[in-house]
Amino acid sequence: MSVTFWVWFGIGIYIAVGLGIALMARRQLGAGVSEFFLADRKVGGFVSALTYSATTYSAFMMIGLAGLTYLSGVGALGFELTYLCGMFMMVFFLPRFWLVGKKYGYVSPMELLSDRYQNRGVGATAAILAMVFLVPYSAVQLMGIGYLMNGVSGGAIPVVAGIGIAVLCAIAWSNIAGMRSVAWTDAFQALIMIVTSAVVLGVVINALGGFGSFFDKLESAVPGLLSVPTAKGAFSINMFIGLALPWLFFLISNPQVSQRLFIPKSVTAMKQMLGGFLIFGFIYTLISVLWGFSATLLVPGLENADKATPSLLALPIIPTGLAIVVMIGITAAAISTIDSILLTLSSVWARDIHKGLINPKVSEKGELRVGQWVIPIMAIIAFVFAWWAAGKTGLNFMIAPLSSAASAGLLMAVPTIFGAFFWKRGTAFGAIVSMIVGAIIVLVFQLTGWKPLGWWPGVWGFVVCVPLFVIVSLATKPPRDKAEEFLGYLKGALKKGRFI
Amino acid sequence: MTKSAWAWVWFGLLLALDIAIPWYVLTNVEKMSGAFLFWTIWVLAAIISAFIIFLRWREVKP
Repeated sequence: MSVTFWVWFGIGIYIAVGLGIALMARRQLGAGVSEFFLADRKVGGFVSALTYSATTYSAFMMIGLAGLTYLSGVGALGFELTYLCGMFMMVFFLPRFWLVGKKYGYVSPMELLSDRYQNRGVGATAAILAMVFLVPYSAVQLMGIGYLMNGVSGGAIPVVAGIGIAVLCAIAWSNIAGMRSVAWTDAFQALIMIVTSAVVLGVVINALGGFGSFFDKLESAVPGLLSVPTAKGAFSINMFIGLALPWLFFLISNPQVSQRLFIPKSVTAMKQMLGGFLIFGFIYTLISVLWGFSATLLVPGLENADKATPSLLALPIIPTGLAIVVMIGITAAAISTIDSILLTLSSVWARDIHKGLINPKVSEKGELRVGQWVIPIMAIIAFVFAWWAAGKTGLNFMIAPLSSAASAGLLMAVPTIFGAFFWKRGTAFGAIVSMIVGAIIVLVFQLTGWKPLGWWPGVWGFVVCVPLFVIVSLATKPPRDKAEEFLGYLKGALKKGRFI
Repeated sequence: MTKSAWAWVWFGLLLALDIAIPWYVLTNVEKMSGAFLFWTIWVLAAIISAFIIFLRWREVKP
């Protein structure tokens, strides 16, 4: 039977198992918004760690990061590990988000901001920011799946078919039982991701003569890729900071991951979530970068670096069955991110825009219905964007830079989030102005390709939005009572739990 | 200084090293024992320090 048949067969099995898990999760689904969007805040440590891992790590890793390593070398490792180093900030933010989430019943990170700044406009602005910038981020996941299925099937499966399959799975898994089905399928998918990628890397390294021989070959064949900046000028400090700055604050700027800080059922579950994620992230990053390096040796000279992984999987040294299993692992990585984004965006629309601005008297049932309608709508928008971008080439349309560009927009909410937890003097007006002006700068610079003094859009946006938040806040009146009550509660609770 | 302030300083130091070592110390070392090894050890230092902090957390009822 043909490779194409086995690819379809593998996809069929994956979808069937995923659907089975989602339907099992539905049996435990209770009523209400908190139940649907946060699994009633009662997720155990193991599933929390895996859903956080699967949501964070996507097609970006084994396709985008591998492609960036293939093209630009070791700087890609530094860039991705800067994100993981940024996870150190979880020791500050995880207990804070978790404590106030439980106490005040927040469903989305934007609701937290609205309440803390005592202004629904703050949450709505952050929500619109998320809607705008998470579309390209979702789209790159879809592009990754499209490239992969197309590559592994030798072109028999069109890129758009891969994109379509991913969209349908993501809609189903986020709609069947909300966070419960997303978290359970994420856990299943995270295990597939890490196991399949480790196995296939082992096969490739073995074919290259083991780690010692692999490293020797890299040093002799592509020495220029092992330092920064590279001989061809990639990974200048400007490029590195431009890519890494949005990634550094990913844990709080991206609502699909910060919303997960509300879900652990206990402090023990929180610790397991953080520890499990850090170990998962370290291993998966090294696998993805080494995978990209192995492609520089085995499939040199590719025009589109994002096709390094599909090209590597198509080599005869990788058994067809294993290539298909790995393809499913990467597909799982992408879908587990998209369904989480769809679920978060639906909660953000339902809670922070529909209930926050349009219809404050909407019932819980009505709010849930609105959220469930948003899921397919956002999925279709991401589908159209992915279809459009998949035909383009160049650094700006590669998966890694496109992902980082999306996070550059979300970065503009970071001063507002810091202010919520660490600065009593922060105001709603300061938050709204800094987010809007910062986002406009990022969008304009991104769309025009303008990089004044060689600095990337996210850096310029951040440089403007931080002082803007401070200056406008100092010039306007803060919600003193709420700030005292919110931060006062945190001070006492943090001490009790030995948090810092 | 409070524990929290120390943790922020440590984090700032890690970020400074993230740029300083690969671009100014190891920029001509085109080997796996250069930037690749540095970033691997550097992030392990960040991960271990996070573990040291969060393993002290204890159960609370919000």
